[in-house]
Amino acid sequence: MRTGATVGHAPRKATRPVTAVRHEPDPPPPDDLAERFRAGDERALREAYDRYGRAVLHLAVSTLANRSDAEDVTQATFVAAWLGRDTFDPAKGSLIGWLLGIGRRKVIDRLRAAARETRVVETVRQLPEPAPTGPDPDAVVDRLVVADELARLPDDQRRMLELAFYDDLTHQQIATVTGVPLGTVKSHIRRGMASLKRRWEVDGAAPGPRPAGLSGAR
Amino acid sequence: MQHLDHDRLVFLALGESQAEHGETDHLGTCAACRGELQALQHVAGLGAETQGLRELPEPPEHIWQGIMAEINAAEALPSLTEARRQSTGAGPTGEPPAAPGAAVPIGAGRRRRWSRWATTLVTAAAAAAVGVVGTLAVVDRDRPAPQQAVLASAPLAAYGTTPKDANGDARVLTDGKVHLHVANLPNVSGYYEVWLINPKNMEMFSIGTLRSRSGDALLPLPPNVDLQAYSVVDVSAEQYDNKPAHSGESLLRGALTG
Repeated sequence: MRTGATVGHAPRKATRPVTAVRHEPDPPPPDDLAERFRAGDERALREAYDRYGRAVLHLAVSTLANRSDAEDVTQATFVAAWLGRDTFDPAKGSLIGWLLGIGRRKVIDRLRAAARETRVVETVRQLPEPAPTGPDPDAVVDRLVVADELARLPDDQRRMLELAFYDDLTHQQIATVTGVPLGTVKSHIRRGMASLKRRWEVDGAAPGPRPAGLSGAR
Repeated sequence: MQHLDHDRLVFLALGESQAEHGETDHLGTCAACRGELQALQHVAGLGAETQGLRELPEPPEHIWQGIMAEINAAEALPSLTEARRQSTGAGPTGEPPAAPGAAVPIGAGRRRRWSRWATTLVTAAAAAAVGVVGTLAVVDRDRPAPQQAVLASAPLAAYGTTPKDANGDARVLTDGKVHLHVANLPNVSGYYEVWLINPKNMEMFSIGTLRSRSGDALLPLPPNVDLQAYSVVDVSAEQYDNKPAHSGESLLRGALTG
């Protein structure tokens, strides 16, 4: 059983504990993208877009009915982030969490504007029920944040969690499938879950103040 | 009963095992353990929903181009505002220039998108190159990067009703940039934009914006640009009107020759 303690290290993963033993390629190593972005390095803007543009677009596309609106929101998110980079504090959360937070507010603005329009149209046409609403933006942000953290976990932790999440395997089944001792499986899952939860608390949309008027069934 | 072991909460949250009697009782009375279990359950639920989020499609390149266009426009605004103030005032006064970053009425809501044909002209890689170095670099007129050879050049002359003292020149350098020099452009209420035009079919695309009536700029070209076809350099007056297309108001034009 491995002993590298993961609990309590910084949420930004600047110091991933070295649990050694394996030599698997570790996904996204800690880097200085967030700092370079804040400092105004234009290459950092492009890197941030390459890395996180798809997550921001996914947030917008899955919550807004109109593809063109979603692309507008994605564009506006990166423009606002770049022009407001002074307000980004890398110590308070990750760059992707910050970007998704900006995107989330823009999505909510759009949804409200659309709801106003719908109300006007309904009043005029005397239509009965409003159009069905899409998924809650907060839930989408939370999923993206957890997915990002999952991708950053050490390979073995991620693999075990994926087997548990996606394939709904018990720990015993995971041990059987992977040939990893049960105790090790449990410890990987425990650590992985602790990282996911910590990251969700730092970067997720839910723990913060909820916007009024968008209840969002959670 | 003391709090539940955190490992135990994780396993309960994953449905790995059922809560035993004593545990259920404790969870019924202890808000801390119950809250932690609910948080872990929520995270496990989110985890299960992340399948498919790994392979999200890349955003289309025109979003990136829109980002750069909007940022360039926003960053160019203070100087344009200043130019406008000077133009509407009674000639050059001793008035201090607008502070950089001063509130600008138009910037925030402004959104520019490249039109569709422009995006088809520019490959993803080319656009990436344009984007990264997209911000205009103002160069010193007296030292115009002497190490760069000139591939093609075009004298720019006043076009249409533009006052005849407006002029300029464009030189395509070996590093894929256009060195643009302009002088005496008429004052405009918006900004100046530089285009490459194919005179055969009048297709065109924007290669950047200019900050001032007179001066120099280095504008990166898409590496795959066909200068044989897009041989006309055009400087236009553009309004802040959310219309990405050429305004139709050309101030300077010239044909590239190599």
